[in-house]
Amino acid sequence: MFEMVPWRRYRTPLAQPRKDLFNWFLEDCDLPGFGTDEREWVPAFDVSETEGEIIVKAELSGMKVEDIDITLTDGLLTVKGERKMENEDKRENYHRIERRFGSFSRSLNLGLKVKADSIDAGYKDGILTVILPKAEENKPKKIEVKH
Amino acid sequence: MSDKELQVRDKRELESAGERTKPGPVFIPAVDIFESEAEITLLADMPGVASENVSIDLHENQLTVSGEVEQLTSEKEEYLLQEFETGIFHRQFTLSDRIDQSSITATVKDGVLRLVLPKAEKVKPRKIEVKAG
Repeated sequence: MFEMVPWRRYRTPLAQPRKDLFNWFLEDCDLPGFGTDEREWVPAFDVSETEGEIIVKAELSGMKVEDIDITLTDGLLTVKGERKMENEDKRENYHRIERRFGSFSRSLNLGLKVKADSIDAGYKDGILTVILPKAEENKPKKIEVKH
Repeated sequence: MSDKELQVRDKRELESAGERTKPGPVFIPAVDIFESEAEITLLADMPGVASENVSIDLHENQLTVSGEVEQLTSEKEEYLLQEFETGIFHRQFTLSDRIDQSSITATVKDGVLRLVLPKAEKVKPRKIEVKAG
């Protein structure tokens, strides 16, 4: 009748806000390993659309073009890359480290067909721009009304 | 902590940077600073800022760095997802006398500003040789 119910400390309503408060307190500190983000690098992306194209932009400052990897499989656009820290081996010489480093990978489901062989990608001033022309069937068609 | 989805870290917005003639948000660029024997190097992330749009101003030990991002989108574009705002990057640093202020160099490459602040002669470590007597 009386089953043993495991007592889960982390499920109690009191423990939760305490953890949140801790994170909230540390959120603004740029300390590695503290706060809600653990110094992982997730670059910001913008996606926009024109009549004939899908345009993806990403904030990737200070990267080498050869370290950026873009793939398209089944309408899923994946942008991968790695940003390396300068003088990584001499961390003790750093006074301040606010910039983010490491690998990232982000995938976007485009939701429509694009012309895979005429995708254009460019990198300028730290912004990656990928222009994906829409396949003919996805372009808006104008239908004329006859009298 | 770990069950949270990865989140894009927003650019930190500057509360007040004086009155500006141009409207738009002002961001604090993320900065790395490291030191070597001869100089201090400052790296600032300013994605979207072209080298001609960066201004560096030195006034009474106050080094001001600012950069403007040109509008990235054309009118024809319609946003499906917007994670980054564009605006002005602005940050100030106070330099000490240990910096040779006349020979500061700045370069911008791939959206990263690199400021090299050479140390003044008097603070550079000097090797003193011991003479055999």
